[in-house]
Amino acid sequence: MNLSNIQSLPFSLPEALLAVGVVGLFLLELVVKRKAVLGELALVITAAVTCLVAMQSGGQQGLLFSGMVALDGFSIFFKLLLGLAGFGAVWMSLGSNEMRDEHPGEYYALLLSVTLGMFYMASATNMLMAYLALEFVSQVSYVLTGFIRGSRRGAEAALKYLVYGGVASGAMLYGMSLVYGLAGSLDYAAISQVMAGLGSGGVDGAVVAGAQPVIYLALVLVLAGVGYKIAMVPFHMWSPDVYEGAPLPVTALLSVGSKAAGFAMMIRFFYPAVSAYDGDGNWLTAAGVDWQSLLVVASMVTMTLGNVAALRQDNIKRLLAYSSIAHAGYMLMGFVVMADDGLQAMMFYMVVYYIMNLGAFTVLLMVLNQSGREDIEGFKGLAWRGGALPAAAMLIFMLSLAGLPPFAGFIGKFYLFAAIIRQEMWVLAVVGGLNSVVSLYYYARIVRSMYLDQPAEDAPGFVADRHNGVLVGVLAVATLVFGVWWRPVVALADRSLSFFTG
Amino acid sequence: MQGPDLSVAAFLLLSALTLGGGGGVIFSGNIVYSALSLMVSFLGVAGLYVMLEADFVAGVQVLVYVGGVLVLTLFAVMLTHRIEDIKVSNRDVGKLPGLAAALAMFAGLIAALEVAPWKLPAEGVAHEAFASTQSIGNALLGRYVLPFEVASIVLLSVLVGAVVLSRKEVAEPRVSDDA
Amino acid sequence: MQAFLDTLLGDAAGLERQLGYLAGMVVFGAVVVFGFVLPFAGIVTWAERRIWARIQSRVGPNRVGPFGFLQWLADGVKNILKEDIIPTVADRPLFRFAPYVVMVGFVGAFVCVPFSGDLIIADLNIGILYITAVTSLVVVGILMAGWSSNNRWSLLGGIRAATQIISYEIPASLAIFPAVLLSGTLSMQGIIGEQGAAPWQWHMFHSPFTLLGFGLFFTAALAEGNRTPFDLAEAESELVAGFATEYSGMRSTLFFMAEWGNLYVIGALVTTLYLGGWQVPQFTYNPVLMNLAQVGVFMGKSLACVFFMIWLRATLPRVRVDQLMAMCWKYMVPLAMLSVLGTATMMVALPNGSHTLRMATFAVVVGVVIRFAFKVRFHLKRARKLDYTSLSPGASQGLSS
Repeated sequence: MNLSNIQSLPFSLPEALLAVGVVGLFLLELVVKRKAVLGELALVITAAVTCLVAMQSGGQQGLLFSGMVALDGFSIFFKLLLGLAGFGAVWMSLGSNEMRDEHPGEYYALLLSVTLGMFYMASATNMLMAYLALEFVSQVSYVLTGFIRGSRRGAEAALKYLVYGGVASGAMLYGMSLVYGLAGSLDYAAISQVMAGLGSGGVDGAVVAGAQPVIYLALVLVLAGVGYKIAMVPFHMWSPDVYEGAPLPVTALLSVGSKAAGFAMMIRFFYPAVSAYDGDGNWLTAAGVDWQSLLVVASMVTMTLGNVAALRQDNIKRLLAYSSIAHAGYMLMGFVVMADDGLQAMMFYMVVYYIMNLGAFTVLLMVLNQSGREDIEGFKGLAWRGGALPAAAMLIFMLSLAGLPPFAGFIGKFYLFAAIIRQEMWVLAVVGGLNSVVSLYYYARIVRSMYLDQPAEDAPGFVADRHNGVLVGVLAVATLVFGVWWRPVVALADRSLSFFTG
Repeated sequence: MQGPDLSVAAFLLLSALTLGGGGGVIFSGNIVYSALSLMVSFLGVAGLYVMLEADFVAGVQVLVYVGGVLVLTLFAVMLTHRIEDIKVSNRDVGKLPGLAAALAMFAGLIAALEVAPWKLPAEGVAHEAFASTQSIGNALLGRYVLPFEVASIVLLSVLVGAVVLSRKEVAEPRVSDDA
Repeated sequence: MQAFLDTLLGDAAGLERQLGYLAGMVVFGAVVVFGFVLPFAGIVTWAERRIWARIQSRVGPNRVGPFGFLQWLADGVKNILKEDIIPTVADRPLFRFAPYVVMVGFVGAFVCVPFSGDLIIADLNIGILYITAVTSLVVVGILMAGWSSNNRWSLLGGIRAATQIISYEIPASLAIFPAVLLSGTLSMQGIIGEQGAAPWQWHMFHSPFTLLGFGLFFTAALAEGNRTPFDLAEAESELVAGFATEYSGMRSTLFFMAEWGNLYVIGALVTTLYLGGWQVPQFTYNPVLMNLAQVGVFMGKSLACVFFMIWLRATLPRVRVDQLMAMCWKYMVPLAMLSVLGTATMMVALPNGSHTLRMATFAVVVGVVIRFAFKVRFHLKRARKLDYTSLSPGASQGLSS
């Protein structure tokens, strides 16, 4: 179904609720005396939005608002993930000492609005809408990055983020203008028709003359925009500084939310819009343009650079930033296979990554709240000075991030490697495997520090706060459970891989 | 159209303004001159919009970019610098490699764009004049109403965010965390 | 204007026709600028001084020509002959260039200012938007002047002017909307065409909301033109002469010409948007006579606005900077929103407008004006009784000492 503006309204309840929440929190800040209420309200709103999205699952599919956004399995899957990311960020903010006095009304409203932007990134099926959503998320992220007043690191990070973001989105806009010149339309549906008309470039497929260079150019430029959102090399330079300078809950949101949204937008643009589906699980690129080889290289470089750079980090936020760059590289492995099983593996991995990465950040938040330290020293002997449970949880998250069985991270990587091995991309598989080994070193460093190092004599005791503890517990259990019983999530990813193109 | 045409001359003039202004932005060593070159560039772009019969867009271009963005830029520059301090804004780092890279990029772009199968309106179809203001209004509140509304939330959030970031706090200053 | 050129050019085609258009536009533009805009700006300076003098019970310039009418020419000649001083520490290119940018922004507006049904340089589709856009160049010129003078007062004046102009651009633009909504076009002639000759057919009296829009537009336009009570940019007592402090001779004349000429632009805009423009009843079918009558009506209304602005300048004290900003953002912007939304609601609720409402609004305004006129008359009468001879001896001594 392809709905007009008024008809679309009942199907965009989650977005509407978020928008009302944004405006409502801005206004409530003026009248409410007890500011903590605002954060709790934001928590309720994100939870309600996630529930609303879940209720849409399995229902009708179609294009809303005259083709601007799609309501399909794919968008619902990502909106669920992003809604949960928003929920997690709000939850962490409520339990963060850092964020206690920082204009709660505006802060939570901005968190909601960045969630709204990510929703649109995941569901946009029109270049204008996609670009607007990307800018939405970027702009609000700049503000959130520098939100702690008086923090020079935060201000510097926000400025760097802004400059990189401006360049990347400019490049992407130029690429989109080339696509528009070829297709004469901003709609993904129309673009895919024109792209199909340019030829398939397969074994005997003819290609319209002159189409290849310009498509290649356009796609590379678009890649700059989305590559910056997912922190892919060479568009990753902002990420360590921003992750380090931003408030911790915002860092967590950027690493799980905005990365997932960037991947969603990337998949929607590179798969249904500019590639053709052959009907049995494989995708063909428009005019036979070979952009996958470029991305294969990008994927290998991204994971290698991320892992190698992470080896030398003492600041855990920076370490997790490089680890998140490396994970973008792993997820790109699923992207380059041009087949449905690769996309499914990516989607599954994103769920797993959400769980384990958010968990790691929450443990870091507990340490930060207690000791004010975010470097590896803060974890020294954590298990022996009252933090046994958080340390155990951190152990689970770290091993899962490294991809060891029996944790969820292993299953996620297994599916990714299976997808590329099925396409016989041996080099990529070998590089990915080596990288997992390298990454084990720095994840294990944290574990060693928590368990094998003795705390200093005068080290203060560690008292786990219940609020963050609940989140850590839930995520740790989920990492364990999905490590042995992953079928439902894989089934969900399978079911959700459906693009509505009208 | 036969013979020389004034519109070609106008196009060349406006392109020269746009590119020259852009060059001024980059090469001027004085940041105020850079900002004012930007104005020339904006005006040239507005002229190009007029030539494309997008008169409304041209008007908005001047109103928003010259009247808003540029003035605020000048503002920021003038409030933060004294006249003697602003001689250096763009350091010349690697002019030659930069030029080579730019030329290579330019050549690549031209080569790719020249052969591209653009989707152009059919030749010979009579070009109809249309009311661009009206079409833009209808598009904004019709087909593109969702981006239009989302843009308003973007602007609201960013505006509030900018105020939060820039307003002076009455409370005691925090200890800088990199001390 | 285009029709006129078409008849003139006959069947010339191609390049000749385009060159003909170009030449015609240039000539007509030059006629308007040199024959009307510049003399007008000069004459307004004389008029302003005479009117102030009358209001302040002084005489004013009365030596050059009848009633001192040629004073503006004498001043102009004096300024042209004066030395053009450029301070050594100034940024020379920008210092020289700034007055021209201001002039371009100001003169450019006349492209779309109508004089009668047929007399307008170009009736652009986006007329009012064009004027708003092109006048924003003035801000850039003022900032350039203020900064390049390398003088604190100049810089402060320039920055004050720019803050004020870009802030008030928002209520001014919003207050244009009611008139544009009612007309359904941005073209100046189109907006006038939607109004009638009788006062109650003007956009101003369409509903209380448009009346509000009129008031807001007038106020915001005053502020955008840096006129009292909003002339903080060149507040003599605080900033010498603001951004124009270092200027002398011809360049300073250009600034002041733009400022006084701007009064007419404001008057013409208000007349076009809300006061029915050049509309006169169809009393003859002779196009020349019709156009003359229209020019007369349009000029009459615009000049009335100019007179009102001069009157305000002689009456109201200057506002403070914080008051200026508070007034703009806290009161005028929300009120302008109300005016736009109210007009739009009215248009949906009453697609054909309500004659009763028009007449009622008109009657209220007329009533207020009459009441005000009586009050003014009362004060004038009382003032006349105050003769210098009747002052107490002590006071007269105080005056003479």
